[in-house]
Amino acid sequence: MNELIHRQDQEFGADLWFPLPAPLCLLTLLLPPLSSAAPISPAKPISQAYSLALYMQKNTSTLLQTYLQYQGSPFSDPGFSAPELQLSSLPSAAVSFKIWHALEDAERLSRAQGAFLALTQHLQLVGDDQTDLNPDSPILLAQLRAARLRAQGLLGNMAAIMTALGLPIPPEEDTLGLVRFGASAFERKCRGYVVTREYGHWTDRAVRDLALLKAKYPE
Amino acid sequence: MDIYFCLRQPLEMVDSKRMKTSSNFQWLLSSFILLCLMNQVNSQKKGAPHDLKCITNNLKVWDCSWKAPSGRDTLYEVCIENRFNSCYRSEKTNTKIPALLPGDHEISINPIHNHSSISKFILNEENISLIPDTPEILNLTADFSTSALHIKWNDKGSAFPHHSNVTWQIEILRKKKMEIVTLMTHNTTLNGKDTLHHWSWTSDMPLECVTHYVRMRCYIDDLHFSGHKEWSDWSPVKNISWSPDYQPKVFPEDKVVLVGSDVTVCCVIQEKVILAQFGKEKCSLIHLDGENVAIKIYNISVSPTSGTNVVFTTDTNLVGTVIFAGYPPDIPQKLNCETRDLKEIICTWNPGRPTGLLGPHNTSYTLFESFSGKNVTFKRAEDPADISYQLFFQMIPNWEIYNFTLNARNPLGQSESTILVNITKRAVYPHTPTSFKVKDTNSTAVSLSWYLQGNFAKMHLLCQVEITKSNSVQELRNVTVKGVEDSSYFVVVGKLSPYTNYTFRIRCSTETFWKWSSWTIEKQHLTTEAIPSKGPDTWREWSSDGKNLIIYWKPLPINEANGRILSYNVSCSSDEETQSLSEIPDRQHKAEIQLDKNDYIISVVAKNSVGSSPPSKIASMEIPNEDDLKIEQAVGMGNGIFLSWNYDPNMTCDYVIKWCNSSRPGPCLMDWKKVPSNSTEAVIESDQFRPGVRYNFFLYGCRNQGYQLLRSIMGYIEELAPIVAPNFTVEDTSADSILVKWEDIPVEELRGFLRGYLFYFGKGERGTSKMRGLGPETGHSDIKVKNITDISQKTLKIADLQGKTSYRLVLRAYTDGGIGPEKSMYVVTKENSVGLIIAILIPVAVAVIVGVVTSILCYRKREWIKETFYPDIPNPENCKALQFQKSVCEGNSALTLEMNPCTPNNVEVLETRTVVPKIEDTEIVSPVAEHPEDSSEAEPENHVVVSYCPPIIEEEIPNPVADEAGGTSQVIYIDVQSMYQPQAKPEEQENDPVGGSGYKPQMHLPVSSPVEDGTAEDDLDDTAGYRPQANVSTWHLVSPDSPRSTDSNSEVVSFGSPCSINSRQFLLPPKDEDSPKSTGGGWSFTNFFQNKPND
Repeated sequence: MNELIHRQDQEFGADLWFPLPAPLCLLTLLLPPLSSAAPISPAKPISQAYSLALYMQKNTSTLLQTYLQYQGSPFSDPGFSAPELQLSSLPSAAVSFKIWHALEDAERLSRAQGAFLALTQHLQLVGDDQTDLNPDSPILLAQLRAARLRAQGLLGNMAAIMTALGLPIPPEEDTLGLVRFGASAFERKCRGYVVTREYGHWTDRAVRDLALLKAKYPE
Repeated sequence: MDIYFCLRQPLEMVDSKRMKTSSNFQWLLSSFILLCLMNQVNSQKKGAPHDLKCITNNLKVWDCSWKAPSGRDTLYEVCIENRFNSCYRSEKTNTKIPALLPGDHEISINPIHNHSSISKFILNEENISLIPDTPEILNLTADFSTSALHIKWNDKGSAFPHHSNVTWQIEILRKKKMEIVTLMTHNTTLNGKDTLHHWSWTSDMPLECVTHYVRMRCYIDDLHFSGHKEWSDWSPVKNISWSPDYQPKVFPEDKVVLVGSDVTVCCVIQEKVILAQFGKEKCSLIHLDGENVAIKIYNISVSPTSGTNVVFTTDTNLVGTVIFAGYPPDIPQKLNCETRDLKEIICTWNPGRPTGLLGPHNTSYTLFESFSGKNVTFKRAEDPADISYQLFFQMIPNWEIYNFTLNARNPLGQSESTILVNITKRAVYPHTPTSFKVKDTNSTAVSLSWYLQGNFAKMHLLCQVEITKSNSVQELRNVTVKGVEDSSYFVVVGKLSPYTNYTFRIRCSTETFWKWSSWTIEKQHLTTEAIPSKGPDTWREWSSDGKNLIIYWKPLPINEANGRILSYNVSCSSDEETQSLSEIPDRQHKAEIQLDKNDYIISVVAKNSVGSSPPSKIASMEIPNEDDLKIEQAVGMGNGIFLSWNYDPNMTCDYVIKWCNSSRPGPCLMDWKKVPSNSTEAVIESDQFRPGVRYNFFLYGCRNQGYQLLRSIMGYIEELAPIVAPNFTVEDTSADSILVKWEDIPVEELRGFLRGYLFYFGKGERGTSKMRGLGPETGHSDIKVKNITDISQKTLKIADLQGKTSYRLVLRAYTDGGIGPEKSMYVVTKENSVGLIIAILIPVAVAVIVGVVTSILCYRKREWIKETFYPDIPNPENCKALQFQKSVCEGNSALTLEMNPCTPNNVEVLETRTVVPKIEDTEIVSPVAEHPEDSSEAEPENHVVVSYCPPIIEEEIPNPVADEAGGTSQVIYIDVQSMYQPQAKPEEQENDPVGGSGYKPQMHLPVSSPVEDGTAEDDLDDTAGYRPQANVSTWHLVSPDSPRSTDSNSEVVSFGSPCSINSRQFLLPPKDEDSPKSTGGGWSFTNFFQNKPND
């Protein structure tokens, strides 16, 4: 399934890229006078984003634990971990430190932004899945909803940073593509697990990304 | 027939060839077997056909074969003898002949072009075997989602001449090794036509995981056939398999199963599965083809909300599925359908036992109405916490009876519940009426209006009005109104009281009652005013000076005032004149009018905004009473007082009881109470009544608006104990009696009807605790109590008292409420004068007599006395001093004054002027008087005398004897007075009028001596003052330097001579065994004092 989605994404993404340049050119023509007129310091949005990321970091393990608790054994067993489960539609946060450190700010921000974009969409999907599987668990559903909203908030903050740094904001893609609605309950549980897990990993990474930026652009 | 057979056979052969192309092989096989058999026969019969065997597969044609010598191609002619020479030629060793009738038939097989002999066989149907054609599975399909296999085949029934039962055996095999899973039979009948049959089988194992094979065979049980019946051969095997992805998968996916059932879960995978888990439980693996595995779960229990996970773990992957175990829906319980507005029917129910299945597997409900054929489906609320199981069904116009079926369905099954309702008669539960309003109609009626949603156009509504008067009295009234659709309703509620606060609320039902709606909100309403229904309760009193008449009236109770009283009008009318006071404001309830003593009729009228009340009338003057009224006493019951009287037919209007506090000044009127004329009793209660307060009650009877005093009663609501004690005084006191007088207690302090006094008296002085707690409860035996029940008594004489004794008197008053406090007084009775006189006279008389007798005796014995006490020549025998010396210092009987052994050294005389206090030792005197001559017994006396210490050294009398002695020894007085203190006697002070000055104790010496000495009286004067000092000289004499003692007084002085002058102690221990008791006592006592300073 995931492979399928991935393939679809790529096709869709490819389709999306080509019609864009023309409007983008127009935007770039329009934007410079605005930005030059009101140069925004990146320190403030970086600080805001950093605070939000720190706040999110405190809740990620709770979200994962709550999620697993509602999925039944073996998910709910203490110490459950299945690193072999991955979603092709969701970029992995794991990266070698060398590569990560060598990344340019723009690239680093762009990757995090892409990841959180994918995460917001996936969290929506997981929320829908859990509404079917655990309709009588409002705590879990509320936590998933909250995580999605925070991820969206962080996305907004990142966009503000990119604007402040004069970086182009990547267009919003459909990372999920065609979702297999007939996914089995087990597949849904697994993908929910991967999404909540990766949400934690990406939040950790975002905290480090933003800490690095914060150091570069002190208030 | 023959032709027919002849012609038919090839045709059938063709047919069978066409139809049974697949069974050629079997045919060949059976032919081969027959051939072998024929060969055997031939070998027996030297080349003739033998071993004829016939089989049939359709009962129409027998396929007979025989054995013949092999190697030669021969044409055989087979003839059935007893038929009409029907012969068949065959180039092979078999032929098909039409089925023969039952019975034996001779068959001859004649090899043509061969010289073999003709073989003849007897053929009977019983020897024929019926072996059906091998069946063929036309179609094998699989439904992977349900793990079902569907098999389709043709029974080829057209080949059979008649109806027969057929048994089919279907065998399911699994895995490449073709392990038999199951063998099942299926029975059908052949009906002469080719019929397609379907058969399905559900696998416990998901079909995806392993290849399943199917084959079948049949057995025809033809009742008309008498030969052998055998199973057909197995059909060719057909299989079903699933072409897997390259991804591992677990089956079944999201399966919903019944709790308690068994489930097989399998995994299609290319890797080796290490572990399989069902929930928390590890399962043993069933290995299928390749790496595929399965697990079997027995007796599955209810799943948690998100299902039970089945997980297969490999080295690098984790795959699984979810099983949802639950229950089919319970029968919907308490299905109830009713309507609130006659537009929509609401059906509610209880789902019963939970299914354990949620989300997409949740139970769906459909409400179906069978008469109309309409249905509605239950849509679950978004919020799972708020599940109310109800469905709305739109009513069909003019349709009354509905037959509802509620169907509950989930993946595990369905259930249903039905209800038949006559909606207009037994199922209307109206909405709560809204817009409820109250409006005035008149002072005793209001109109109520409300809005009720619903189509009640064809029925009547029954509504209930709850009327609460002043938040206490409740009344329910039912009203019926004609129903309308979505409209307001009006009713008028009458029989209300004017100017009264009412609370209204309403609820409705239909006339064919089913359920009341909820009550509307409450509405408060005050009805309008009406004229007061009665005049005020009126009374009058003359003022203290008797000039004015004060008219009192009570405010009208709210139910009689019928509104807010604005003012009162008072008028007094007699035959001549009319006085009136009008517009007296409401808060004033009395009026004063100056009137003469004529008869006036006073009328009082109350007015409110609507009008005036009827007047209350009362005559100004009382009807005089013929009899003198006695004042009665009455005691109430704590909160009120009960009065009763005899029925008096003259009293036509009513009775009035008025009362007042007796101790208050002014006209006696606190309140009054009217009682109907037919009553003979009344209970007077008032908040103003206080216990312990005296009230006067007056009962009046009414006759023609005039009142006559009938009774006067004095009473208490509750009696209490008096608050004070009566004031009492002692009027007179004698030696044995006291007369006490007391005063009345004021009424306010009495607090009850006085019932008597309690008088206590007993001996006691002020300040002593003896009489403190006086009263009956203290129980002092010496306290006397007198209960005075005659309350008019105001004095009391207490007799039989002791003279000159202090008495305590206590007086307490008591009522029925208790005993009041006490007031006490101490009185001392007067002295008894006669007794006193006697007490004085007797001792005086005795003293005189004793004096006279003594004088007489002394006079008579004066010579002897003189001789004894004051001889002219002193007789040494009489000298006690000498005796003393002898006994102490020498111990021999010689009465010489040899003093040598007794050498005093130093006598210290300590001088002090301190007056020796009273000394009480009485033993000192008497022994001397009794035993004057007993020298041996004089020792104690001597000691005593010695112990007198001369306190005044200045009075030392120079002694010529001492001077003569020449040798002076120093004498020092030491403080020895303390030693002698106990030896003085108090009486001696009194008896010795002279000894008042100086040292008194010494005065005893003359007292002791005059008994023997006749000159005692003279000597008394001489010895006044300091006597012992005279002895100092004797001490000098007895000193070692002057051993001689010549002084005439030596008897006295010698007492003081100690054995050792240095000693501060008396050096005369009681050596003598004969020493009297007093001596020992004296010594021990002095020792006691003496040792103290030494310590």
